[in-house]
Amino acid sequence: MTRYALGIDIGGTFTDVVLFDREQGRRLTRKTLTTPGDPAIAVLQAVDQVLGADCISPHEIERVVHATTLFTNALIERKGAKTALLTTEGFRDTLEIGRERKYDLYDLAAKKPRPLAPRDLRFEVGERILADGGVRRALETDELDGIADQLQQAGVASLAIVFLHSYRNPDHERLAGARINERLPNLAVSLSSDVAPEIREFERASTTVANAYIKPLARDYLDALSTRLGAREITAPLLLMLSSGGLTHVGEVRRSPVQMLESGPAAGALAAADIGRAEGLEHILAFDMGGTTAKLCLIDGNEPEIAYRFEAAREKRFAEGSGLPIRISTVELIEIGAGGGSIARLDGLGLLKAGPDSAGAIPGPVAYGRGGRQPTVTDADFALGYLGAEGFAGGAIEVDLAGSQAALDELATEAGLSPEKLAWGVHDLVNENMASAARVHIAEKGRDPRNYTLVATGGAGPVHAYGMARKLGIRRIVCPRNAGVASALGLLLAPARVDRTAAFAAPLNDMDWPRLEGAFRELELEAAQVIADTGKAAGRVQRLADMRNIGQGYELVVNLPDGPYGAESAARLQDAYALAYENHFTRPPPNVPVAIATIRVRLTAPAEATADDATTPDKRTSARTGSRDVYFAEADGMLDTVVLNRAAMTAADSHAGPAVVEEAESTMVIGPGGRFHISASGNLIIELPEDGA
Amino acid sequence: MNRPTSELDAVTLDAITLEVIWNRMIASVDEAAKAIVRTSFSTLSNEANDFACVLTDADGQLLAQNSGSIPSFIGTLPATVRHVLAKFGQDGLHPGDVICTNDPWLGTGHLNDCSIVRPIFRDGGLLAFAATASHMPDIGGRIRSVEAREIFEEGFHIPLMKIFRAGVVDETFFELLRTQVRTPDQTEGDIHAQITANFLIEDRVLAMLIEYGLDDLADLSRELNSRTEGAMRAAIAKVPDGIYDFEMRTDGLTAEAPFTFVLKLTVAGESIHFDFAGTSPVQPRAINCPFCYTYAMSAYAIKCALLPGIPNNSGMLRPITVAAPENSLLNPLPPAAVGARASTGHYVPILAFGALAKVMPDRVMAAAGSPLWNCTQSGVRANGQSYASNLFFNGGMGATARGDGESAISWPSNLSCTPVEVAEQSAPLLFHYKRLRPNSGGPGQFRGGLGEEMLIESLSDSPITVSFMAERTRFGAPGLAGGGDGQVGSVRIDGMEADNRAQHHLAKGTQILIATPGGGGYGRQKDRDNEHVSRDKRLGYVEEDQQ
Repeated sequence: MTRYALGIDIGGTFTDVVLFDREQGRRLTRKTLTTPGDPAIAVLQAVDQVLGADCISPHEIERVVHATTLFTNALIERKGAKTALLTTEGFRDTLEIGRERKYDLYDLAAKKPRPLAPRDLRFEVGERILADGGVRRALETDELDGIADQLQQAGVASLAIVFLHSYRNPDHERLAGARINERLPNLAVSLSSDVAPEIREFERASTTVANAYIKPLARDYLDALSTRLGAREITAPLLLMLSSGGLTHVGEVRRSPVQMLESGPAAGALAAADIGRAEGLEHILAFDMGGTTAKLCLIDGNEPEIAYRFEAAREKRFAEGSGLPIRISTVELIEIGAGGGSIARLDGLGLLKAGPDSAGAIPGPVAYGRGGRQPTVTDADFALGYLGAEGFAGGAIEVDLAGSQAALDELATEAGLSPEKLAWGVHDLVNENMASAARVHIAEKGRDPRNYTLVATGGAGPVHAYGMARKLGIRRIVCPRNAGVASALGLLLAPARVDRTAAFAAPLNDMDWPRLEGAFRELELEAAQVIADTGKAAGRVQRLADMRNIGQGYELVVNLPDGPYGAESAARLQDAYALAYENHFTRPPPNVPVAIATIRVRLTAPAEATADDATTPDKRTSARTGSRDVYFAEADGMLDTVVLNRAAMTAADSHAGPAVVEEAESTMVIGPGGRFHISASGNLIIELPEDGA
Repeated sequence: MNRPTSELDAVTLDAITLEVIWNRMIASVDEAAKAIVRTSFSTLSNEANDFACVLTDADGQLLAQNSGSIPSFIGTLPATVRHVLAKFGQDGLHPGDVICTNDPWLGTGHLNDCSIVRPIFRDGGLLAFAATASHMPDIGGRIRSVEAREIFEEGFHIPLMKIFRAGVVDETFFELLRTQVRTPDQTEGDIHAQITANFLIEDRVLAMLIEYGLDDLADLSRELNSRTEGAMRAAIAKVPDGIYDFEMRTDGLTAEAPFTFVLKLTVAGESIHFDFAGTSPVQPRAINCPFCYTYAMSAYAIKCALLPGIPNNSGMLRPITVAAPENSLLNPLPPAAVGARASTGHYVPILAFGALAKVMPDRVMAAAGSPLWNCTQSGVRANGQSYASNLFFNGGMGATARGDGESAISWPSNLSCTPVEVAEQSAPLLFHYKRLRPNSGGPGQFRGGLGEEMLIESLSDSPITVSFMAERTRFGAPGLAGGGDGQVGSVRIDGMEADNRAQHHLAKGTQILIATPGGGGYGRQKDRDNEHVSRDKRLGYVEEDQQ
């Protein structure tokens, strides 16, 4: 009997494990501190605890799904492998030169991101492919043996190979990789034509080198985890979540780990999408706020949108353009330097700032009593009564309220404000920072926030959701059960999906249709093989292409009609492009021929039906556990506010704000005039008053 | 939220509401910027970032600029708004008006950019202005080249005029525009993209006023601008009073006649005055820099040196005054040609730093390998279609007291380069290399950033026409505080030094070498950290024989 699914989400601070009972809808959750030296230790501890708690046999687990920020952190902390780059002769500096643009207009000493492969580990070889894929100069294979010797002498563990126009013709990269591997069989090799087969040499090189940089680490960690799960007799396949929200097997991530950089946030977005589905909501804004960052993701029709680029390891935190460009499929979301640990201070003009600097887990907010001295958003949330000291974080942290208040008082004196106004200022400012970023993002998509429901997850999300919703003009908030481990749950509820990409440059009006059809079939075959490895039946195939009007600088990713394609398909592809263009730019495309640059395939397995235990509230206890003073701007002061225990609330009752609803991992704050209840699916639904803004 | 009633509340509103509202205004113009990227046709806007969006108050005082903007435009746009006020008066502006100009002296310094201004009204009262500037795909005239001698050769000239009157479009204007340019659909489309952005700013600002219960922006603008003005005055007050001179020679039109740039910078109490008297006279080529651009570059330099960390607004500019003699390179009058005004205007921040270096060398930067470089090629493809390709290149940053200069980066502009793969796909060109230029950074305790070098071959069967913007090919970027000069740049055609002020017609197989200048060094070379010396050697930034 296999009825359990195991979700594992490793973050920078905590490792979350969820065991989901497909038949009864039960969720067993465990949060434990991450063990950075050997991350598998924390995973195994937590797994043992959830299995042991209910005497569940490892054989009853049918699949294990895993997301992690370990590889992103390796990039940020520059703790990857010694990595070299091999390029076309004349172009080893592409990685260092970049796009030549500043991310800070006024900082004369602003630094470009430091390349992951330093100049003395960047090698060149004679070869040249032209823009049309033709060979101008054959690969000088003899030069490669000397380069291999140098790699060995320098102790290089991983090599990226990036030749010009390899997205059109990968032959030279493949030849070079094979030749070097013959000589150095243990060297990890990443080819740009495999990792990111797209035009623009800097972005492709940046992606491929990042892949090479984390490849040995990913290989070692995944091997260790597989081995140890196997030793626990957990024989179900280990599936990994990619940044796109797609699943894959260990083999693919060992080859191309860069695809997993955003797997944690992707799982969070999928969790929100699933909650939206359960509540029958078409338009949701997923809002996940933790200790350091907040993530926001717009989800229409239960599917998060996919972006095809993002930036990792930003040099200047959160400044657009200061990171390493990474060209992979990733759930489209925005990340803001706003979390519970964001530090409050006055700037040079005497204006209040909150973040993006974070006190993190160590030293953490002053209230955690772990050595933090600077007041943070969490400290303000305590002072405002949003968080309660008693039983905070399930009793794991003993809260130092006095120290927290003293730190806030000091800043209030400096600012010439009352302590209450200051605390509210910090809370409101962080909300405004997030709302501002959300507004730009939502506007970029041409949408109106007032049509969205906010889904609040993460430790701090429910605390700040009400204020965020008011600023955005959002009328409804959904806060799921186990909001603090929502990402790990998302891993289990996501339908299995596989994405494949290939460069294919050709104008629609001069298309070699059999070749295009063949290229799509090849990608579909590859994708089907991965799906088969994950134990799923193949599902729906979606073909896509990056298209543009010839002469435009940027492509648009277009959903294409189903194949097979032939000469008669030209009009259908043209129409698909026009539709996507008008959706995106709010105007029809110019009357200029259209070309394809890249083709993509997305294979989605059908979602599994699962049971949900909904709510089985503990009838013996009252939901109301007490009351405390809580600040609300609507009242311009503290109000005596009821405190409710989430676990004891029943679906039938309707409540009115102001109120605070507590569970082990998070606290939901509801302002005066707000109405809330538990839905049939067990989610907390909050309706904001009409005059909320 | 209520209006302040007590002193304590007033302070509350200041510290918190001000910050929130300021962020909101910046978010509004950032949103408008994304709309331009989304809806414009010109790759100069959507790939190279050659545009800006701002919000000003009813008097044309800057309140917010988009985050990734170009330093020149954010200096010129508020001035353009004030020209609108001067011409039409508050009474001459009405809801639904849209004003446009590409007049170099009222706009951004050359015809290629359109500035679009929309007055924002509330209950019939003038509240603010939304303004945008963007580089047009084409504006007519001859293709951008330094060879133009008068503005009349440079394209369609739009005076400061209403193109919408109370919501009604001026069809005659668009008809005229369409007849004058090579790309009527794209140029008209880009103007509409800007108008959309202006509308968006209006919408967001009005919503913000309602949310915060504010009647207008006057108090807010006064408070924000006086705060930044105060911060700038305090920063200037820390600079010792005095008159600081700096003089620099740069490439002239010929080797025999270099240009001279002279700056006398007067710091007195809390204000700074620029005087460019003594600078070379206006030239019969398109490299003259209209005063609006000179002013923008002067203000940009002071902000970089004294107050880099605070969002920009007009208060910042109030303590800064600028004078340049009429009919000099930095204040040409019509009908001077101005298309490549960046080729002289980009020297202005370096002059300011050179002068300030006498009292605060640690706050400025040695000269960069700027101005911006450009190579424009046009020709006819094998299939008979004509094409034009416009490639930007950059030199190294100057070193500072904080470290080595960055290599190959856009400054004092902020434009992206075109990827080699895209350049080769869109024009019959072959790059043999694009690489850093070892040894090009000026030596010093901190080394100047390296320039870059590109060897580009024409694969076109028919001859191509090529022109350049190239500077510092005769005078390297000066070092600072004992640092050495950066190496000069060069343009070579088939190995021979080429006249970079002239157009060239090149046969298939011709090779163009473009080598951009390095940045100047900072401090004495003998004080350089040994670790940095050996790193430069190991990484090949400085080659063995140059040590």
